[in-house]
Amino acid sequence: MKHVSHVTIRKRIVAVFLLAIAVFMVMAIRLMIVQFILGDKLTDQAETSWSRDIRFEAKRGKIVDRNGEVLVDNVSAPTVMFVPRQVDDKEVVAEAIATILEVDQDLITEQLNKNISIVRFPEGRKLNEDQALAIQQLGFSGVYLAEDSKRYYPNDRMLAHVLGFSGIDNQGLVGLELAHNEEISGVSGKLSFYSDAKGRRLPGLSDTYQEPVDGKDLKLTIDYAVQSIIERELDIAEATYQPDGAWAIAVNPNTGAILGMSSRPNFHPDDYQSVNSEIYNRNLPIWSTYEPGSTFKIITLAAALEEQLIDLEKDMYYDTGVIEVGGAKLHCWKRGGHGSQTYLEVVQNSCNPGFVSLGQALGKDLMFDYVDAFGFGEKSGVDLAGESTGIIFNRDRVGPVELATTAFGQGVSVTPIQQVMAVSAAVNGGYLYQPYIVDSYLDPISMETIEETAPEVKRQVISEQTSEEVRLALESVVAKGTGRGAYVEGYRVGGKTGTAQKVGTNGRYLENNHIVSFIGFAPADQPEIVVYLAVDNPKNTVQFGGVVAAPIVGNIIEDSLSALGVAKRDDGLEKEYQWPNQPLVEVPDLIGLTQQEMVSYLTQLSIEAVGEGTFVIEQAPAPGEKVPMGDTIRLLFGEKVNDGS
Amino acid sequence: MKKEQKADWLLTCCIVILVVIGVLMVYSASSIWASYRFNDHFYFAKRQLLFATVGLAAMQGVSRIPYHSWRRYAKPILLSCFILLAMVLIPGVGLVRGGARSWIGIGAFSIQPAEFIKLALLIFLADVISDRQKLITHFFKGFAPLLLLVMFCFGLIMLQPDLGTGVVLVAACLTLLFAAGAQIKHFVFLAFIGISGFAGLIISAPYRIDRITAFINPWEDPLGNGFQIIQSLYAIGPGGLFGNGFGQSLQKYFYLPEPHNDFIFAIIAEELGFIGATGVLIIFSLLLWRGVRIALGAPDKFGALLAIGIVAMISLQVAINISVVIGLIPVTGITLPFLSYGGSSLTLTLASMGIVLNISRHCYY
Repeated sequence: MKHVSHVTIRKRIVAVFLLAIAVFMVMAIRLMIVQFILGDKLTDQAETSWSRDIRFEAKRGKIVDRNGEVLVDNVSAPTVMFVPRQVDDKEVVAEAIATILEVDQDLITEQLNKNISIVRFPEGRKLNEDQALAIQQLGFSGVYLAEDSKRYYPNDRMLAHVLGFSGIDNQGLVGLELAHNEEISGVSGKLSFYSDAKGRRLPGLSDTYQEPVDGKDLKLTIDYAVQSIIERELDIAEATYQPDGAWAIAVNPNTGAILGMSSRPNFHPDDYQSVNSEIYNRNLPIWSTYEPGSTFKIITLAAALEEQLIDLEKDMYYDTGVIEVGGAKLHCWKRGGHGSQTYLEVVQNSCNPGFVSLGQALGKDLMFDYVDAFGFGEKSGVDLAGESTGIIFNRDRVGPVELATTAFGQGVSVTPIQQVMAVSAAVNGGYLYQPYIVDSYLDPISMETIEETAPEVKRQVISEQTSEEVRLALESVVAKGTGRGAYVEGYRVGGKTGTAQKVGTNGRYLENNHIVSFIGFAPADQPEIVVYLAVDNPKNTVQFGGVVAAPIVGNIIEDSLSALGVAKRDDGLEKEYQWPNQPLVEVPDLIGLTQQEMVSYLTQLSIEAVGEGTFVIEQAPAPGEKVPMGDTIRLLFGEKVNDGS
Repeated sequence: MKKEQKADWLLTCCIVILVVIGVLMVYSASSIWASYRFNDHFYFAKRQLLFATVGLAAMQGVSRIPYHSWRRYAKPILLSCFILLAMVLIPGVGLVRGGARSWIGIGAFSIQPAEFIKLALLIFLADVISDRQKLITHFFKGFAPLLLLVMFCFGLIMLQPDLGTGVVLVAACLTLLFAAGAQIKHFVFLAFIGISGFAGLIISAPYRIDRITAFINPWEDPLGNGFQIIQSLYAIGPGGLFGNGFGQSLQKYFYLPEPHNDFIFAIIAEELGFIGATGVLIIFSLLLWRGVRIALGAPDKFGALLAIGIVAMISLQVAINISVVIGLIPVTGITLPFLSYGGSSLTLTLASMGIVLNISRHCYY
């Protein structure tokens, strides 16, 4: 055992002291780190924990048409919320609030007894102005009203698919409301007060109010008048034909700006929860894809003209009613054929074998080069969500039959917007535009334009000269050919009918179930508007584009041009009334024929049809009677032939 | 023994200043709680003022008692403290506060035996070692038995459980043994045992590991184990250089749990800033310096060991408490001497300073 000297003890005590001082130094350094280096960050976090925010929602930007006409507006719809610890007499407050909100008093009592700092509840949201005023006048402490708004649609269902709608938290859910949510939703403001950990206001610290910043207004290229006209015509078409669907687009061919767009079935944005989500999620004019039918012949025509393969006036084609391609027989829609025609007449008559001959003349590569150049098989790039691409034949697999059917619009699958933009390019001098619907953002206060969409040319597809030839050819289709229904006195309308077959679930074409369409433009010398309209499976009529779709497009064009301020003129092609000096025609025996079979009689007689079914079971006038050309024959359709024998 | 001189004036000043700051800060930190719980802003402040008065009187009284007289009563005092400490563990006798059965007594007049036994053990150790000085260097005859006694005491405290007080007790006793001249190799051996013992403690009470992970990243569980550390930092961080001003704490509004107790240093840093907080640290350093000076100047080994033991006990408690508050070590639950609210700890601390002051009356400098 060693003796411990006094010196050892002194040394040890000094060592303990030095160690302790070192520890104290470390603590002082740590204190500096916390207070000076971490100080700002901790202060921010602490501020967040001390302050309680009552949100003040920003107003969503309005959506207006190209002239400032309001399409989507807001109405004030405040929210009531409680800070339970600031409420003095919960019973009194619960009774008064429950009366105003017309809810059960127990529900409010339950909210007031919640152990959280700020209580929000669904029944207290989107109040009307009267309710808000009544609550305000009560002046209870701990009861707060926060500004909020909800969407108001002054035109009800108009443009519903494009506009979409927003949810209860003012968040865009579908359509433009979703696509432009960030810009139009704005930044919410707040009323902040400092509170203790039990939710009571801290004394001596003032509240801060941060004003919400309203969202930017969204200005569309849509023209309120054109849109109204389209909606009206679609409503009439829906009532007349009870179709499975119908859709229409109007664009300015010189910019790609969409003037109007609508489809049926429709919905009310306020009431979206009551309809099937397929209805509001599918904006048919950009979503649906189907065989275009004869409207696609415009592409074949433009390509053939651009390549200078034909002279419309001079070159002739003889249609026997059938053309044999690669061992398959392709029929003209007119039984027996159109006989000898100029190529202009081929276009007017929409003669399938004639267009097949054009496709063959172009050849596989040129034909599909033009199909691609006109924008088919790729998205148009329109600034709307939910666009489809469509399907074009893979070139490696294109044989003579595929080339031939493509030339008259079968076997390819395209969207309405693709067709509209392609035809716009064909008639506007050859420029394929990217379609757009958002014109600009507007400052909600100064109404100044913030960000403007510039028209964008993707490419020039055909020359100005070819485009002029196409316009004249299509004007003659309306004046003299299958598109007569679209003729408008005083406006030079050009256009093309389409009757597209639909492919059923089994991969085969459906019987008596077509998408009938018409694409028209006017004035033919300098187009201001291109309108496409399609009706899916119209009932009680002959399913033919010239019968159903052309007159509607004629109406839309006439009223729209008038609304757009385009003056009527009289320098256009005269409508060719059906050969007035010709002898009377004998009424053919149509009984027992199917809808498709009798389409060929349409060039001589108008048909008014009633009933549903495959076959004609009655007709008036009776077969054999002599009537003037162009007279109307009334037909009754049914499933079973009324066989007299 | 030479004639008594005056007690160390600087040490007395430090103590009185700390006690005054303590009463004021307990008032500021507790007023919101006091008004909420007892509808009286001054509820805790008044009681702290009473404890301070009693404690300072006790300090003055004890400083008059010749420190050698404690040697005579060292064993009976230690024995009675052991009895009290054992009684605390009996349900119905010991009172549970804050999750630990640490208190004994009736109503307002309750004490924490663990506080008393810290002092009693230090007196006993100083007495035994100074009597049989050579034993301390011998492991089996000196070091180990004394250590076993300390660990037994620690075990009793851990049954409450009160880790903070236990750690302070063991560390203060070890410091005393170290100062007394125990061999370094014994401490190295002890370190191995200590580490394994620490592991054992964590395994036996898994909540301790949660406290440690909460310390490493308090934001992982901000409403659970990280809560106190985060709220403490939310007080200290915004304090900055000069603080919000006396009475201007925001964290005392129920954010920081019992702000007048273990976390009073956070409120000091929030209201008085870095200046105030380091001021308090400097006063504690002065107190430490004067205590060490007294230990060095003590006329005999008993005085030197008792002085360094008591000073070590208080400094350790300061270091552990403040380190917890500023997020240097995990939450242990220990009061800040002189400043935290609490009768037992304040009067005991002041009484033990009375002993040190008495030693200073006999010092040779």
